[in-house]
Amino acid sequence: MVGRRLIYLLMILAVGLPIVFGVSQKPSRLVSAERMYDVVEQVRVQPGEVAMVWFDFGPNTIAENEPQAQVLLEHLFRNRIPVVLLSQYQQAERFLAKIPNDVAKRLEAEMPGQQWRYGEAWVNAGFRPGGAIFIQSMVNAADVSKFLGRDVNGMPIAQYHTFSSIGGVERVKLVGEITGLVGVFDNIIQFFQKNDYRPTIVHGCTSITIPEAYIFLDSGQLKGLLEGIAGAAWYSEVIKEHFPKSENKQLLVTNTALSAAHIVLILLIVLGNIAPLFKRRGLHHG
Amino acid sequence: MDSSSSWALASVLAGGLATLAIFSFLIKENGFYRFFEHLFIGIAAGLGPMLIVRDFLWPTILEPMLGLTVVTYPDGTHPEPYQPLYLLYLIPMAFGCLYYFIYSQRYSWLAKLVIGFTLGASGALAIRGFFSEAIPQIAGSFKPLVVMVEGNISLMESFNNILFVATLLLVLNYFFFTFGKEGSLQGKMAPVGRPLLMVCFGAFFGSTVMARLALLVERVQFIVRDWVSAVGTFVGIG
Repeated sequence: MVGRRLIYLLMILAVGLPIVFGVSQKPSRLVSAERMYDVVEQVRVQPGEVAMVWFDFGPNTIAENEPQAQVLLEHLFRNRIPVVLLSQYQQAERFLAKIPNDVAKRLEAEMPGQQWRYGEAWVNAGFRPGGAIFIQSMVNAADVSKFLGRDVNGMPIAQYHTFSSIGGVERVKLVGEITGLVGVFDNIIQFFQKNDYRPTIVHGCTSITIPEAYIFLDSGQLKGLLEGIAGAAWYSEVIKEHFPKSENKQLLVTNTALSAAHIVLILLIVLGNIAPLFKRRGLHHG
Repeated sequence: MDSSSSWALASVLAGGLATLAIFSFLIKENGFYRFFEHLFIGIAAGLGPMLIVRDFLWPTILEPMLGLTVVTYPDGTHPEPYQPLYLLYLIPMAFGCLYYFIYSQRYSWLAKLVIGFTLGASGALAIRGFFSEAIPQIAGSFKPLVVMVEGNISLMESFNNILFVATLLLVLNYFFFTFGKEGSLQGKMAPVGRPLLMVCFGAFFGSTVMARLALLVERVQFIVRDWVSAVGTFVGIG
């Protein structure tokens, strides 16, 4: 009983100490995150063209999905790519409102005089029920703005100048899917396409779904991937290389805390496997 | 302190309390943990139906059908008039309500109509989805075993592709149960698929552990950063 509690205590200390003292290490390089940065960097939009980012996560996976959503939006905002935000997951509503506001405020503080306003930089179409059927209908709609109808504030999306004439789904130049839910991710992969249209899809996944996400990355169905917190941390480092004033200290602390927990866990696994050997040897000698 | 910040403070305080209550199970089973566990189950059960009404039934069906989305300008005119076609929603709604006949012995066949329709639609979606998802992956598995980069053989990429193709074939062979006898090449190669699968399961397990630790990191961050300062504000020292 005491041993079990000691393990819990060690894990909480391993996670908590870097957070309390603000310890941060440079994250490991992740090629898939770099690929995703390059893909987003190459997106160029004409008036009316947009990126569409799905926040399909709730409080249960914010640890991994929120930093991913932040870095992807930060990159899109920096490149002045208008973003339509929406979700297939009810519990994402709070994050659809909070994250773009936080990112916009941070960028405005970094670059005084520049602004990222709701209705110009992004629009929040909110939670959309229907999953695959909704996506399939949107893909076949003549005008995405009109199909989406109203934003979360009840305003017709077509009334915002930047989003007034998106037209067909072909004008969605990038699709971002941030989720830990395999089902909703599959909806995007399976149904966000037409005969003559295959979007550029990038994905932020939780650690659990990394092995499955690699399959889609390998087949080319995904063009870029953020693997858990580590993927977001490395993406933020790449952003920082290009925009040195970018602030990512908190994300690096989070990533460091995770690494510290990994080290403790590995040590415990090694100890747990070696200890019985010594115990057995002791019994033989005893 | 205005009402919105009071509400935010109360949310953080309650969130921290709930987190600590759930974590208290790590010490031992206790009433504090049990209370918050029941609270969570109750909230989750109540939240689902409420969200369906708030996020789907009301804004998507009832509000437009009742004409409540029609904007009226101060001069009394409307940019978009009421669309009576919204009333057609009543037909699928009535059809969907047939499901409740499942409780009637006499008319339960009416519920089967809805179930049959749902199964048919789901099946069609699943078939379409499968082909959209799987065919690019099958095509993606056709990899060159010797990769040439600028006229030279790329040893690393070639090795990766050979490993990929070999793993794919060996694992597929492992699940070949219909024919092939012991002693044949197929039979001899079958056990090789097992350790490769174990590597895959190890990767899945490792990534699951990583995800659980990420959750712990987020909760500890919340407690250390948000909750502690909220407690400070609440007791007047923040």
